[in-house]
Amino acid sequence: MVYIPRMTTLAPGVAAEFRAILGDDRVLDGSTERIIYARDGSIADGSCGVALLCETTAEVSACMGVAHRRGLPVVPRGSGTGLCGGAVPLDDAVVLSVARMRRVLEIDPAVPCAWVEPGVLNLDLTAAVTHLGLHYAPDPSSQAACSIGGNVATNAGGPHCLASGVTVQHVLGVEIVLPDGEVLAIGGPAPDPPGYDLRGFIVGGEGTLGVVTKACVRLTPNPPAVKTMLFDFASTRAAGTCVVDVIARGVVPAAMELMDSRMIEACEGFTGAGLPLDAAAVLLVEVDGTPADVEAQTGIAVDVARASGTRDVRIAADEAERALLWKARKSAFGAVARVAPNYYLHDCVVPRTRLVEILDAIAAIAARHDLLVMNVFHAGDGNLHPLIAFDRRDAAQVERVMAAGRDIVEACIAVGGVLTGEHGIGLEKRDYMGLSFGELDLDAQARARRAFDPAGRMNPRKVLPVTSRCGEAILDENSLPPGTWV
Amino acid sequence: MDASTTSGGARWLPGAPAPAEDDIVKCVACGLCLPHCPTFRLTGRETAAPRGRVAAMRAVQEGRAGVDGAFAAMMDECLACRACETACPSGVPYGRMIEAARAQVEVTRPVRVRGLRGLALGQVMSRTWAMRAMAVGLGVTQALRIDRLLPERMTAGAPRVSLPRLARRMPVRLGSGPVAAVLRGCVMDVAFRPVQEATMRAVAACGHTAVMPDGGCCGALAAHYGHPQAARRMARARIAEFEALGAEAVVVNSAGCSAHMKQWGHLLADDPAWAGRAHAMAARVRDVLELDVPSEATTTRPVAVHDACHHVNGQGIRAETRRMVAASGARPVEIPDDGRCCGAAGMYSVLQPEMSAELRLSKARAIAASGADTVACANPGCAAQIAAGLREIGADVDVRHPVELLRPRERT
Ligand SMILES: Cc1cc2nc3c(=O)[nH]c(=O)nc-3n(C[C@H](O)[C@H](O)[C@H](O)COP(=O)(O)OP(=O)(O)OC[C@H]3O[C@@H](n4cnc5c(N)ncnc54)[C@H](O)[C@@H]3O)c2cc1C
Ligand code: SF4
Ligand code: SF4
Repeated sequence: MVYIPRMTTLAPGVAAEFRAILGDDRVLDGSTERIIYARDGSIADGSCGVALLCETTAEVSACMGVAHRRGLPVVPRGSGTGLCGGAVPLDDAVVLSVARMRRVLEIDPAVPCAWVEPGVLNLDLTAAVTHLGLHYAPDPSSQAACSIGGNVATNAGGPHCLASGVTVQHVLGVEIVLPDGEVLAIGGPAPDPPGYDLRGFIVGGEGTLGVVTKACVRLTPNPPAVKTMLFDFASTRAAGTCVVDVIARGVVPAAMELMDSRMIEACEGFTGAGLPLDAAAVLLVEVDGTPADVEAQTGIAVDVARASGTRDVRIAADEAERALLWKARKSAFGAVARVAPNYYLHDCVVPRTRLVEILDAIAAIAARHDLLVMNVFHAGDGNLHPLIAFDRRDAAQVERVMAAGRDIVEACIAVGGVLTGEHGIGLEKRDYMGLSFGELDLDAQARARRAFDPAGRMNPRKVLPVTSRCGEAILDENSLPPGTWV
Repeated sequence: MDASTTSGGARWLPGAPAPAEDDIVKCVACGLCLPHCPTFRLTGRETAAPRGRVAAMRAVQEGRAGVDGAFAAMMDECLACRACETACPSGVPYGRMIEAARAQVEVTRPVRVRGLRGLALGQVMSRTWAMRAMAVGLGVTQALRIDRLLPERMTAGAPRVSLPRLARRMPVRLGSGPVAAVLRGCVMDVAFRPVQEATMRAVAACGHTAVMPDGGCCGALAAHYGHPQAARRMARARIAEFEALGAEAVVVNSAGCSAHMKQWGHLLADDPAWAGRAHAMAARVRDVLELDVPSEATTTRPVAVHDACHHVNGQGIRAETRRMVAASGARPVEIPDDGRCCGAAGMYSVLQPEMSAELRLSKARAIAASGADTVACANPGCAAQIAAGLREIGADVDVRHPVELLRPRERT
């Protein structure tokens, strides 16, 4: 795959129209600025026409109005930590950033819930409600950096979503600006809003339906007791068995994360958390609840771990040790750079009972393509993250990486898995949609999308494959201009 | 997919160091540094974020952009606080990259500007007499309140100079035992005499002969502002001086300086005559906070602890600051703002006044909110900046270097 950078200039007057709304400083159309806004946290690269920094719903609406009249494609952007190219603009699209919309508007401790602007960072929201004994439950490993808007748009998950559920279970309402600038309010704190419940459709919309400008999210009381354990295994097989058996014994831990030996090494290098460097795999398991409940769950988890052959059980003695273990886990992606400058991953989900088998298959695929794969993932729900470490300057290697990626996706689907657990489809998994969905399904999805975005200007060429029959209005296969991948 | 299909090679300018390609490619664009970057927090702008700045360097490296005005603006806006480096799980060595990027930018400045900055950073700062002359000038304008006539943005971050203190003689040798040199420095020498004296006493209490040689600046500011040649010259002069004293250790009471001096080995790595000496001397550098100074209790009050970026990020010094504050009997209190940079950052307060003012005020408010009536602050730039901020919001809080809080006693 070769990326052909395309840098055209906006039609005369467009930037001026945006400047009239946002002022000079918040319209970025210099060539370096456009290069910078052409990327997100993935390895995809696109081309940005202009980047806008909006501060209010009114500004978003006015800018969307300009884009509507001028027929410009728009890509919403939160923190740009997405891993599937969702926020990467193609075809010199307008990048609309909500990073300056970062106020927590209202906290209702009675529900409990909060209305927030989309640019509020996930961890900042938790910090803002800590004094009330509350937190925002979905905790992607990027939670220090990613935005609530981005979480809503990708239906983000995280280690603690095993027991508490992913983002969609925590979004009560949204305000969304439609492609023509109209502002729509959907849902709210009421348990069952009248009429069609569109929240489930908006959450996970990946910027293809409009710009989320507010969200009402559920807050969760902090558990009275927590226990974090690290089990050390001499084989991944034993670790995989332990995952299945713990849940089979009726314990659904708050979190259950698996790291393989290469990943352990990289994370230990950054954090010095004391991970066992000679282990084939470790499981990071957390249980929470009332103190008695936590004791009981811990007992069962440790029993099962011993039965599956753990070499060592480490239980975090205090909050500091617990934080350190989580830091090691949550730094995993970045720590890969200590091995190679780039990484590529698919976050397929497989049935928990097929974990061991699929890990073996992934190892075989990596060996076949002569690549290094490191595993770290949400083992409890079978949500894999096989990271392929590589150097994008080596074109031949990049091709092998892409081929291995495809093999991994196919292997996962073959055992009854799905394409993505939490990162979204975006650009990088778009062309795999056909592996999971038939034409009829894709067609239905394209129609639903078009109900919100008839002109196909919202995050075009994302999510639905270019070959989808009825997607053609949005994604014309024959007009792949420079600026996309070929 | 492969953005490195470039036309032409890197477009770094000759005549100055450039960020290394191997450092640039380490950035995986994960964005985990973003929330820790003060300039990103203020602006929400990717071009004011570490990831964006590295991307700009990458664009030049890949030949997709040049070292132009836009590049300069992005690098100038950076505080060089290195909070991103501490946060980065990928080990992107941002500190040395921004130093090199600034050296590149310096090449593009008009010769007149470059010459003036070179003169200030390389000549004036390295000469103790010249700094004193400047300080007297500043002290006189402050005493006569002439400085009030200048725009606030130019004077806010300037340290207050005390003329009587400047006139008083300083002890330059104290205690007994093996020699430990105490860096005289540039700003510390003229504006922070009580800190210098307290440092001498602390070093002596640790069983060393504290000696303060005449030479001044360590070269940190020159290195941070794109004048590596001047920085190298000053490093060689200081190293020779400390060697001549037979110093077993070199004690430094300013965060920016100790962080820089510990990197002397890197700075002079390609100078065969000096690489070994620089490396050896760098290994002897200790920030005064790293000394475990025996002290009598002087107070039991709460004291807010300000972390200088170049302590936390450059050197991993954090617990040590609290230990020294506690050694004075005071109760260390955290400032409720996650250790955000105060915006002093060397000459930043002069070069980027708006951004600096916002950071200064939010730091001052956070200190006031901590409830302490003293704030411990171990870096001259931060001290001046914080004192100015506290004056601006009308908060009556004393700014002191932790070492000033001590009353050292002989180790038993
Ligand atoms: C180190 C690392 C670890 C990660 N770990 C996890 C993890 O554990 N779980 C997980 O789910 N993800 C994870 N991710 C992926 C990523 O952080 C999530 O997808 C996150 O939700 C993206 O948020 P963002 O603000 O960065 O959004 P962006 O990257 O800016 O955007 C993501 C998508 O959402 C759209 N979007 C953003 N804001 C809006 C808005 N206001 N309105 C409409 N559309 C919008 C964009 O168009 C794009 O399609 C990780 C990423 C990194 C780098
Ligand atoms: S944390 Fe490090 S790797 Fe990640 S974007 Fe920042 S500099 Fe790059
Ligand atoms: S050094 Fe400080 S201001 Fe500069 S990019 Fe890093 S965190 Fe931001």
